[in-house]
Amino acid sequence: MEFAQFLTYGIINGAIYALVAIGLALIMGIMGIFNLAQGSLAMLAAYASFFLFQRWGLDPFLSLALTMPAGFLCGLLLHKGLFEWMSGYAPGQKLRNSMLVAFGLVLVIENIATVLWTANERCVTTAYSGAVVSVEGLRVPYTGLAAVGLSMVVIFGLHFFLKRTLFGKSLWAISQDHQTANLMGINVRRTTLISFGLGVALSAAAGAVISLYTVSPAVGLDWTNKALILVVLAGVGSIKGIFYSGLLLGIVEVLSVYFVGVHYTGVAGLVIFILVLMFRPQGLFGKRAGA
Amino acid sequence: MLELSQLDIYHGDLQALWNVSLTVRDREITTLIGSNGAGKSTALMAIAGLLKPAKGTISFNGVRLDKLPAHKIVDIGISMVPEGRRVFPEMTVTGNLEIGAFVGQARRERQKTMEWVYEVFPKLRDRARQQASTLSGGEQQMLAIGRALMSRPRLLLIDELSLGLAPVVVEKISEVLREINKANGIGIFLVEQNVQMALELADTGYIIENGRIVGHGDAGTLLESKEVKEAYLGIA
Amino acid sequence: MAIESKWYALTGAALAVAVLLPLGMHGQYGLSILCMLFLYITLSQSWNILGGYAGQVNVGQAAFFGVGALTTRLLWLHGTPFPLAIPAGGIASVVLAVVVGFPALRLRGHYFAIGTLAVAWIAHITVGNLFPGISFLTGRHVATYSLVLRYYVFLVIMVAALTTIYLTVNSRIGLGVEATRDDEDAAQTVGVNIVKYKIIAFAISSFFVGLAGGGFAFFNASYYWYLPFGLMWCFEPILIVFIGGVGTFVGPIVGSLCYVALKEIFAFTLGEINILIFGVVFILTILFFPRGIVGLPAALHHAWPRRLHGEVGERANVR
Repeated sequence: MEFAQFLTYGIINGAIYALVAIGLALIMGIMGIFNLAQGSLAMLAAYASFFLFQRWGLDPFLSLALTMPAGFLCGLLLHKGLFEWMSGYAPGQKLRNSMLVAFGLVLVIENIATVLWTANERCVTTAYSGAVVSVEGLRVPYTGLAAVGLSMVVIFGLHFFLKRTLFGKSLWAISQDHQTANLMGINVRRTTLISFGLGVALSAAAGAVISLYTVSPAVGLDWTNKALILVVLAGVGSIKGIFYSGLLLGIVEVLSVYFVGVHYTGVAGLVIFILVLMFRPQGLFGKRAGA
Repeated sequence: MLELSQLDIYHGDLQALWNVSLTVRDREITTLIGSNGAGKSTALMAIAGLLKPAKGTISFNGVRLDKLPAHKIVDIGISMVPEGRRVFPEMTVTGNLEIGAFVGQARRERQKTMEWVYEVFPKLRDRARQQASTLSGGEQQMLAIGRALMSRPRLLLIDELSLGLAPVVVEKISEVLREINKANGIGIFLVEQNVQMALELADTGYIIENGRIVGHGDAGTLLESKEVKEAYLGIA
Repeated sequence: MAIESKWYALTGAALAVAVLLPLGMHGQYGLSILCMLFLYITLSQSWNILGGYAGQVNVGQAAFFGVGALTTRLLWLHGTPFPLAIPAGGIASVVLAVVVGFPALRLRGHYFAIGTLAVAWIAHITVGNLFPGISFLTGRHVATYSLVLRYYVFLVIMVAALTTIYLTVNSRIGLGVEATRDDEDAAQTVGVNIVKYKIIAFAISSFFVGLAGGGFAFFNASYYWYLPFGLMWCFEPILIVFIGGVGTFVGPIVGSLCYVALKEIFAFTLGEINILIFGVVFILTILFFPRGIVGLPAALHHAWPRRLHGEVGERANVR
């Protein structure tokens, strides 16, 4: 059945968008840092996955054991160098400054990638890349299945981590009132640093999945775009909501392809986005209203 | 014993405290009174580590506080109730209390401590699952104090207890503070604009004006003194 | 803040120079650069009235620039004379502001920034899908292309923008706008209709951005249809205002001068990695000039050691 097949692809796409968005949700939602470079960092991780596969035949899902820690370290460095000095700023200023710094970072990263690896598109083709599993006539690609699986594990894992662990709770406290959090004995500086590293590590996970599809220096901003839409759709403070919003976006996109045609996938995002912004600015699943 | 010695503190370019010295003795209630802008909150923020002095020292039982980062102050046994309560608005009452017991020993004993806090402030138990932003001003103040108590402090710093609260509520909370001071030996350093309430509650008082200490002594004596009566109580 | 006579004279002189300049200039390059300079001044000052003065950080300026450009280009290529086509671009941009921007103004702080950015982004994608490919000038337009004309067009747009914004900022409207930026709630208590002022700022901003877009469409011989929707058009004005000084009138002008100069130098000297260096400079500017060049004197003042203050002696004892 054609329609169901479309839906399947929509779900897979959505799960991938959610995976890219989750790091941004953590960094932007909890820390108030507008990291435009999130997608570009995922792009770097995707290249890393690609080269690890090319050199040593490491499956991208396996090389996560390398790329995620590397991403974490990069995150620590980036935060220390570029964003930590803004920690005390008022939210509006912090958002604006971090956005601009991140944009500069995007330019740097994309240019380096183009110079080092050319603008050609790369793709990881594993042994199972083309293979599908057939479920009641639906063809579900193994890669898609793995992507959805990883996405769910990461997102629901993060949700659990934030809600149940002390570290997660302290992070939540920091996002609400970072001066008072200090008074509670929370080492705000260190916690923020670790969280940023975590956010970048998450984008490495996204990178692994992206490498199975298409990598080129230009994809960074496209992914960030999708991530941003999801962050707004889900609402600030909602982690699980990212996953659901991702599915929503993915499904709406394929629906618009199915009914209207392939040129208008971007418009689907626009429409939902504007509707949510106008009628429910706190997001579909969010807890905070407005700012 | 908390000692502030010859403190000079700046807010940006503006000097807020000039050569301030004071002592908060163990197990006592000490108050710092003065009008708005006199520098009271500045002193408290410096103790809590949120501001660093340009000159002078702050020590607690021999440990230099002015050298410590803010989040280490709790470890020393000092806990602060900030001005305006500053409860974590999205967390529940329970959540706020839990986060108050963030560090070490307090974290391990937090169930027991929370029970005690609920006994001290029964209202909070009623509201345990409510989001903190939905509480009334008085309840938020109780929550903020309760949260500060969760770390089992030896000294409680309170910034402007009475601000924005009805007199009846302030009275009730005062009584609770007196109770925990007597029963548990928790020292209290209260910074206040409401001179009457503060001097009635405290054992020792300091008066600050334009960033300088202009008087101190036994609270009861201060309350009766001519200067205080004229300057702060409006009695000619 | 009344204008002092010396500034009057200076502005007048600058204007006179600007008007007479093409007569003395030969060759395309100089005039083109000046066109770009005027364009950037217009864009950044327009951003400034919304972002710097009204405090609404609009990260989606490319959408408005693009809409202006698109409208003008379509009209002009189909025969509408440019004095009509370009203002039409300005109006189209205001229409976009009404449709998308005004609802967005209800959002506080970050959401407005995020919302406008996403709008610009999605507009970029949509236009890229709907209008793939390049827009070419037809024979007639190519034959009658005059760079000097375009120079004056940009000059007029810029002067109109600067004048309007200057008058607005120094009027009662300007007070209302700044009050809104500083503290919305407080502004309302003194009777400032914050919604009205945000809308005014947005309308003015978008009109001139759209106008600039129209100028852009009129200026370029051939370009990809989606080019004016590119993200750089969102960030360049913000960076420029940053460099120059947010919320000041002179800031965007100073910033534009530095920016255009810098960009040209980099493009000439650095070749392949010029964007990378550009990005690095971008980052360094934000890191080290948070208040821009105009804010530099104040920033330096802060850096002096406190000792200088304390030494002046005790303040007179008020008691």
